Amino acid sequence: MRKTVFMAAIIVLAGLFCGLFEEIHPFGIPASTAMDDYFIVHAPEDRSSHNVVTSMVFDYRGFDTIGEASVLFTALSSIAALFRNKDARGEGDGGRRG
Amino acid sequence: MTDSSVKAIAKVMDSVGDSAYVVVALIVLMALYAMLTQKNLLKVSIAISVMCSSVNMFLVLLGYRAGGNIPIHFLKGDESALMVLPTPQCLTLTAIVIGLATTALMLSLIVMLRKHYGTLDIDEIRRLRG
Repeated sequence: MRKTVFMAAIIVLAGLFCGLFEEIHPFGIPASTAMDDYFIVHAPEDRSSHNVVTSMVFDYRGFDTIGEASVLFTALSSIAALFRNKDARGEGDGGRRG
Repeated sequence: MTDSSVKAIAKVMDSVGDSAYVVVALIVLMALYAMLTQKNLLKVSIAISVMCSSVNMFLVLLGYRAGGNIPIHFLKGDESALMVLPTPQCLTLTAIVIGLATTALMLSLIVMLRKHYGTLDIDEIRRLRG
């Protein structure tokens, strides 16, 4: 019963996706390429990197990468907080570890 | 990567056509169905990861240019050869790392749930329903 309802919902969503295929640009012909053409032409002399993607990740969009690193750090701290050993808190060292 | 293999890959990609979008939509729908119907939390997290990967695939597909090479400048051939768009690939790299972080957090929360309730079945974890 439940699975049938979900299947119907998925089929409706598939119909909506078919409508979206009319809107999207055809495969292999990007909508707007001016910015990427600039990057491809100017990356070697601007950023001294043959790999255009590298020059974008670390130079043109460096702030993006900082945010990405902060997301990684936040996830790691959350996991460390989740798996913290609660029994070790405050045993003989004045609670400095906890 | 030799010149001929680059050309072979470009030929395959050009023969794919718009059905690439259809494949991505199918993967999204399958992941959504698994996410809605599965009872095991581990299987739900697998479905979420599959959907994450399909969105990444869609981003890279958006930046494909017909007959394009990879955006690296010391490939053999003329330097002004057509390259695929680098911006979607760069953003996809960021999205992959963020997906990794969310997956790690999700799995550790599942481990905590397993410790507290002794099961992974979402129908038996009822204390959240109030």
